[in-house]
Amino acid sequence: MSQVVPLAEAHEESVFGSKAVGLGAAARGGLPLPPGIALAESIVEDVASGEEAAIREVTDAASALPVPLAVRSSAVDEDGASASFAGQHITLLNIRTAEEVSDAVREVWWSANSDSAITYRQRVGLLHRPSVGVVVQSLLAPTVAGVMFTRNPISGADERIIEASWGLGEAVVAAQVIPDTYRVDRSGQIIERTAGYKKIAIRALPTGGTFEEPVASELTEALCLTDDDLGELHMLATRCETLYGPARDIEWAIADGRLYLLQCRAITRTGH
Amino acid sequence: MSGAPVEVLQQVPLFAELRPEDLAQVARVFKKRQFAAGETVTKEGSGGAAFFLIESGEAQVSVRGHSRPPLGPGDHFGEVALIDGQERSATITANTDLVCYGLTYWDFQPLVHGNAAIAWGLLLALARLLRAAQND
Repeated sequence: MSQVVPLAEAHEESVFGSKAVGLGAAARGGLPLPPGIALAESIVEDVASGEEAAIREVTDAASALPVPLAVRSSAVDEDGASASFAGQHITLLNIRTAEEVSDAVREVWWSANSDSAITYRQRVGLLHRPSVGVVVQSLLAPTVAGVMFTRNPISGADERIIEASWGLGEAVVAAQVIPDTYRVDRSGQIIERTAGYKKIAIRALPTGGTFEEPVASELTEALCLTDDDLGELHMLATRCETLYGPARDIEWAIADGRLYLLQCRAITRTGH
Repeated sequence: MSGAPVEVLQQVPLFAELRPEDLAQVARVFKKRQFAAGETVTKEGSGGAAFFLIESGEAQVSVRGHSRPPLGPGDHFGEVALIDGQERSATITANTDLVCYGLTYWDFQPLVHGNAAIAWGLLLALARLLRAAQND
């Protein structure tokens, strides 16, 4: 079996990790994804070890993707329903060239083997060796991005909860802004729109990495999603539930007027 | 080129009693790791996952709020965590960009389990360190 595959060919969680396989199912299901590849945990190990053949293989495969790139961990026991690894493994954004991907892969390997990751694993009773795959995808330059729960994660109510802010979704995921909040019922009817307080947008730097761009004052408290956007998001939620099952936690982005799915996993806790 | 340089690893007391072929085997499982200036490398009291050997750069050391001499190329830390995976005894922060070779206990344990000569070499080194500590 190849150790570097297009996302649509990532089938085995024990080889590529749950994030890669989840995105693979999305790709096979025709959901809108940025182009990407999945790296098996064995080649991640080899790249982290400095094996030249492995580095060459990964660099060659990444060369086929439009840059810049995002490099994300896809740990084999990550994102499970019983133990959320959110924040334990890093995502490296805005990798400018394919040649820089191997360094980013090594950093992802170390994030799964860091002191904090090991402490966390011990706390949740995961005593075996960490095993990490990697997803490499083209990084979008979104106008708006955020998260969406296909069921209310607090009350358990059967409604979509959407949080959105300007720029890359990391501002929402890392709670660096108070995002807009939207509630949409199962029929697609918008129940509530609450503007947040979005002082910064995370953007890609031309030299690599990201920076916090101040948001223009007239946009700070302006809603960043239109009713049409909410309709598209509701449809995406429905397609994700059809493909993966109910109660999904989705990361999404809108770039060049098109909605993309970035990640879809089970909600780790609901209020019902 | 993968792994840590054997000639530098030879200077680490924990590995000083290993035979050259065993030391080479240990050296191969080290992985390079970079820390940016200002980044916390280890935090006192947190769980420890790896042993590190510094290739370049400088790091400051603090134990219970008190500074210790800085670490530089050839210095190392985390031997105890490498064996027991327990709490870090010092906070180490990169003063400059820091390049290290790291070895996790996940990678080290199978080597020790699978090679009695490595295990014996470690016991000899620990015995020597224990005698030195008793004589201090």
